[in-house]
Amino acid sequence: MLFLELVLCLVAALVSLVGTYLAIVEKDLLKAVVFSALQSTAYAFIYYLLMAPDIALVYIPVAVGLYPLLLVIAIRKCGRFEEV
Amino acid sequence: MDLETFAKFVINVVAVVLVLNAAIALYGLLARPNLLKKIIALTIFSDSINSFAILIGFRLVKGFENPVPPVITSVPPSESYARWFLAKSVDPLPQALVLTAIVINLAVTAFLVALAIQIYRVSGTLDARTLAYEKARRGEER
Repeated sequence: MLFLELVLCLVAALVSLVGTYLAIVEKDLLKAVVFSALQSTAYAFIYYLLMAPDIALVYIPVAVGLYPLLLVIAIRKCGRFEEV
Repeated sequence: MDLETFAKFVINVVAVVLVLNAAIALYGLLARPNLLKKIIALTIFSDSINSFAILIGFRLVKGFENPVPPVITSVPPSESYARWFLAKSVDPLPQALVLTAIVINLAVTAFLVALAIQIYRVSGTLDARTLAYEKARRGEER
């Protein structure tokens, strides 16, 4: 079923593009972290569909768990909104 | 559209999307004032580059069936299994490199977050423009 895999890969790539754009444009840093986690989930799907399941297993806890944890701790200490 | 054309189209679209993601993240890294936003953009940038390496390691196998992950499941492999594996497996080298790079990126991000918290404690802001202005002002006073 290469066709289904390719369609899912296309959808994951487009979701990651939207997630990246929203994460960079968003002024609220907490929302930006959530959009960044969305983009990371789409990347994990792309890794799995491009036949790298070991990378996906490492990438999901790091990019959806630990990056947002570190950044949320920093946002709690340093203030939530970005001044423009 | 047959399967070969569609597969090549999808791979090209994914490559273009990854380059666009890297470009947007680079814009965020250079043009956004907040240091935490810069750290978020840096993680997105490095992940895009890692995904590009994985995409280069992918290949379309003969007959357009699913390729298999580069993991040998029968040890020691028989000759027929080794031939089948050679014909269907994707490239394992970029995957090994990316696995290392993800872990290193985690350590670098933890270090940068610690630096950002320390900068906030010392100067009370995370805005790069304010920090540069304060630095220039202190340089004039000396």
